[in-house]
Amino acid sequence: MRPLGAFVPLRHSAYSMSAKNHRVLPGFGLALGYTLVYLSLLILLPLGGMVLKASELGFGQIIDIALGERSLAAFRVTFGASLLAALINAFFGLIVAWVLVRYPFPGKRFVDALVDLPFALPTAVAGITLATLYAGNGWLGSHLEPLGIKVAYTPLGIVFALTFITLPFVVRTLQPVIEDIETEVEEAAATLGASRWQTFVKVIFPAIGPALLTGFALAFARALGEFGSVIFIAGNLPLVSEIVPLLIISKLEQYDVLGATALAVVMLAISFVLLLAINALQWWAANRHKNAEPLEVAAGKAGKEAEA
Amino acid sequence: MSIEIRNISKRFGNFVALDNINLDIPTGELVALLGPSGCGKTTLLRIIAGMESADQGEILFSGAEATHLHARERNVGFVFQHYALFRHMTVFENVAFGLRVKPRKERPSESEIKRRVMELLGLVQLDWLADRYPSQLSGGQRQRIALARALAVEPKVLLLDEPFGALDTKVRKELRRWLRRLHDDMHISSVFVTHDQEEALEVADRVVVMNHGRIEQIGSPDEVYSAPATPFVYQFLGNVNVFHSRVQGGYAEVERSETPEKATAFVRPHDIDIARQPTEGALAATVAHVHPIGPVVRVELQHGGEIVEVELSRERHEALQLAVGQGVWFRPRQMRVFGADNQPKPPSEKQAFLF
Repeated sequence: MRPLGAFVPLRHSAYSMSAKNHRVLPGFGLALGYTLVYLSLLILLPLGGMVLKASELGFGQIIDIALGERSLAAFRVTFGASLLAALINAFFGLIVAWVLVRYPFPGKRFVDALVDLPFALPTAVAGITLATLYAGNGWLGSHLEPLGIKVAYTPLGIVFALTFITLPFVVRTLQPVIEDIETEVEEAAATLGASRWQTFVKVIFPAIGPALLTGFALAFARALGEFGSVIFIAGNLPLVSEIVPLLIISKLEQYDVLGATALAVVMLAISFVLLLAINALQWWAANRHKNAEPLEVAAGKAGKEAEA
Repeated sequence: MSIEIRNISKRFGNFVALDNINLDIPTGELVALLGPSGCGKTTLLRIIAGMESADQGEILFSGAEATHLHARERNVGFVFQHYALFRHMTVFENVAFGLRVKPRKERPSESEIKRRVMELLGLVQLDWLADRYPSQLSGGQRQRIALARALAVEPKVLLLDEPFGALDTKVRKELRRWLRRLHDDMHISSVFVTHDQEEALEVADRVVVMNHGRIEQIGSPDEVYSAPATPFVYQFLGNVNVFHSRVQGGYAEVERSETPEKATAFVRPHDIDIARQPTEGALAATVAHVHPIGPVVRVELQHGGEIVEVELSRERHEALQLAVGQGVWFRPRQMRVFGADNQPKPPSEKQAFLF
């Protein structure tokens, strides 16, 4: 994650220094070259290949496939459920992170370790477990269904699965940032007459906002690509509870490789634009608290003032 | 606003942070809570501010019960050692915070807020930094902003927790004087916590010396320095030479007449005379070290198994021309004796003395 807040002005001073500054750890050129090669091999090459394959179809054909009734519904389900899951986790994940950082309680380490489980568990296992739990005859499902709430084999089930899978992203992103907020800042707000709500909105939230956005973006991105846990609980009804990754697989199973790549490219494009937008928003949130004027200039003024 | 502290006690688990504290702070006074770390001074300050609740006892503001008031209802300004500025707000917004969170009915208009904030920034001489962020300021500037922020809500009491503790000596000295002026101009009661005796003695009207959750002495800076009530205060404020009657044979002789108990004598380093010739009632010693420190010269004398610290003026030192290893005679001009119960002994008819 990008360092937040207070450290950014230093970057200005680093820029204004001459190019020949001496770094403690040398090897910038080598490391950068390695980074570019690594990223190219790992990310650009496969994705580029996919785009190349899709280009066998014309732009119009890709759009036609993507706007087909079934794929449009799948896109709606995938992005809708992912967004909802990421939003749910942004809220409840914040509470979990807050409690884990701020309050000592017995079993805290255990609870903290629990948060990582969705990372470690095979996603299919998670999907089967959730499906069993929420099915009409499951432990929870048997109580929910009389209330008219059907979870398993509905879009709601997809949201549940995605919420489960993406929880760690929000919690783990927020924890270090919340640890960084001094309790004194809250106390200062209180002595200045701020209510608890005002303290949260005006003092706490601006401090954790950028990290919350990062966590949200990570959770959202992860949910978009999630496959294993969803297919077991979704029911996979075309037009209702079918997600794009599944649609891609079923196209592949019918040897419709071009159709599958077309969907994949559209998915990639939308995800990329969304993540780019979130990143821009985050950059803005992290940097709007900085002035353009480099630190040295301010320090120079301070020096002059001290002399006067 | 006056503050009355009645029988306040506070424990953290088994640790007694405050043990039955009673203290009156009259309106307009600048009081220093002075003591070593862990003596409970910060806890007491936080209880006054409403950030910590006492296990028992009560706090009265202007005679009215305030023990259970929330921090935001107490109308106190609090300044933290590490500033606790809002990092994501400009200096201006930091100072304006207290005004902006007021209920809509009491909230001043935007132009009034701007006027008040700029006035406060002018007061702390940092109005040219209004649109900066705290990360762009030096420590001294941050603390001045924190003060301006605390003053914005026009508190009746200003509480400062080691306000200058994180700053370097020169800035600290400057801010100290400035705080004193500010306090006098604002007509408020101020309480500040410090472990720096020089700071407490220089700035405060009254010094409250604390140790182990108790108040050892309350008095003017001069009183606590020149007439310490307990051995702790003697040792905490300034340097002191301690003479135990058992070790120093001559001293025991004085006390022998009535009380055979153990006693301890305290002598400030600057209350000792050194002579090159034996004088009446002087003790022999050899010069172990000579350190010129600014305006004074600190001399360490080896007397038997003990080191005796003496501070001489530069003139006196030049007249004496002490060299390491030289034999000299010293005698205290002034001393204070505490019995085994740590109660001060009245000066006896015969000047209590070492010989």
